[in-house]
Amino acid sequence: MALFIQALVTGLLMGGVYAAYSSGFSLIFGVMNIVNIFHGELIMIGAFTTYWLYSLYGIDPFLTLPISMLTVAVLGYIIQRVLINRVVEAPPMISYLCTFGVHLILANLALLLWSADFRTVTTSYSGVGFSIGPITIPIARLVTFIIAILTTFGIYWFLEKARYGKAIRAASQDKEMARLVGIDIKKVYALTFALGAAITGLAGGLISTYFVIYPQMGLPYTIIAFCVVVLGGMGYIPGALIGGLLLGVIQALTATYLNSGLSVAITFILLFIVLVLKPQGIVGKGIVE
Amino acid sequence: MKKYGVWIIVFVCLVFLPLLKLEGYYYRTLCGILLWVGLASAWNITSGFTGYIDFGAVGYFGIGNYATALLMTKAGIPFFAALVISGLISTFIAVFIGRYTMKLRGVYFGIATLAFAEAVKQIVLEFDRTFKVTVFEGSHGITLPIAHDEAFFYYTFLVVVAGIVLTAFMIDRNKFGYALKAIKEAEGSAELAGINTGRYKVSAYALTAFLIGILGGINAYWLTYISPLDVFSVIHTIHMIIMALFGGIGTVFGPVIGAFVLSIANEVIGAKFLYTYLLMLGVILLLVVIFLPQGFIGLLSLRRFKK
Repeated sequence: MALFIQALVTGLLMGGVYAAYSSGFSLIFGVMNIVNIFHGELIMIGAFTTYWLYSLYGIDPFLTLPISMLTVAVLGYIIQRVLINRVVEAPPMISYLCTFGVHLILANLALLLWSADFRTVTTSYSGVGFSIGPITIPIARLVTFIIAILTTFGIYWFLEKARYGKAIRAASQDKEMARLVGIDIKKVYALTFALGAAITGLAGGLISTYFVIYPQMGLPYTIIAFCVVVLGGMGYIPGALIGGLLLGVIQALTATYLNSGLSVAITFILLFIVLVLKPQGIVGKGIVE
Repeated sequence: MKKYGVWIIVFVCLVFLPLLKLEGYYYRTLCGILLWVGLASAWNITSGFTGYIDFGAVGYFGIGNYATALLMTKAGIPFFAALVISGLISTFIAVFIGRYTMKLRGVYFGIATLAFAEAVKQIVLEFDRTFKVTVFEGSHGITLPIAHDEAFFYYTFLVVVAGIVLTAFMIDRNKFGYALKAIKEAEGSAELAGINTGRYKVSAYALTAFLIGILGGINAYWLTYISPLDVFSVIHTIHMIIMALFGGIGTVFGPVIGAFVLSIANEVIGAKFLYTYLLMLGVILLLVVIFLPQGFIGLLSLRRFKK
């Protein structure tokens, strides 16, 4: 029983990590209908920003998080303005291939700059956890879990209540009408991208404190973000949290009772089944073409 | 026929090329180019003609590799028989997978196929360890018997790849091909016009899987060593996509040209500076998608049109 509860807790915490780095993906898809293949590279750059600030200047990883957010947000804003805006009206396949190109460029540029070495951010509190009975809870992941929940609610609140949030929703629901009532669509898109990138950069910074980071880490993260977002419903913001937690628990249970390699296979089989049977996600609130 | 004379000349030259008594290195490079021409052309039959961009094509390449390797080493079946069976296994799986994925649109199809290929890779990688058996040999990979001279593989590739290009050429101008292109232009209208779109899409997908599976089989025997991380690598799918796009997606000879140019680029730059090469691929992809959606072939026909 303790084994089961530990697997459940590990899974939920891992799910929090998944949710933290997937909600930006969902936001960008929901508003612009763009599947962002270089999402993983945004995580990687967020992680490397934290890593460099920590290893060069000794700044505490948690204090670097705002800088990681800002760096990735600015990068996302620029890429959106220069590139994505050109293809945002094109068929989805074109933007898909376009972001694929950016993925190749960012990942390999990072490889040339930083080499393929595996790096870790090791602080005094790395790997520290506390125990409740037989169950161990690592602190860094608990913090990520809490931040993931806060970000999800933050974005949800922003989209529902804030003025810009309403503009974003208007632009995603009906581009033409939004334009007619005076919303600058291109500006809304760029801001959405920057916002999505910012929360992704934040997740990247957090991840660097407990996972190894390297320039090529991006694509697997993008693929997991796909799975998470499809499970919860593409473009439905709370979906990233639901999908993330579900995936985390399923993977932890598979890893505990079968083997850890197979949990990846189970992820893809699950993704495949959900896509085919219920493409609007398990809650049924996702966007389907 | 005059228009295609140049391709017949190319083929005849390739048939007689071994008379030049080439060194092993050139044979291997030529075989590599032929393999990519075949893969890009086969990929193009589904994705180019119907517009459904397949991100999991490498799944069938890997299945072909493993099917041939297992049939030859574990069942002792001769190479060509193993090759045909591998193609059929690929087709069989593709009919099953295609029936479900081909109902999805655009990016959803892309994601589902990507998930399929990754799932197969992980299963091949972890099957033995999980079920305590020795079938796929996990990450150790499989070693095949070393056999035949370079010319044998050269001609096998040449015949199969010429067959693939010829198949694409015929599809481009027959009823099957028109139906596929109608699906790309307007699927709903095609359906209304009485085309059984589901059946056509799955047939194209299965045909692509058959051809890619056979290429995978030759690849296994040619390389004599295969492992899941190599033959199921997503980078192979990316190559097929970029080659077809670069040359001209949805045309017969576009993927041939794209695969030829980019395999040579890979051989010259990629072998020494892999990351620079991949960086360059990314830039090419962006430039092609934004400025030249018709590919290299499109550029040529534009010229002709202007004259």
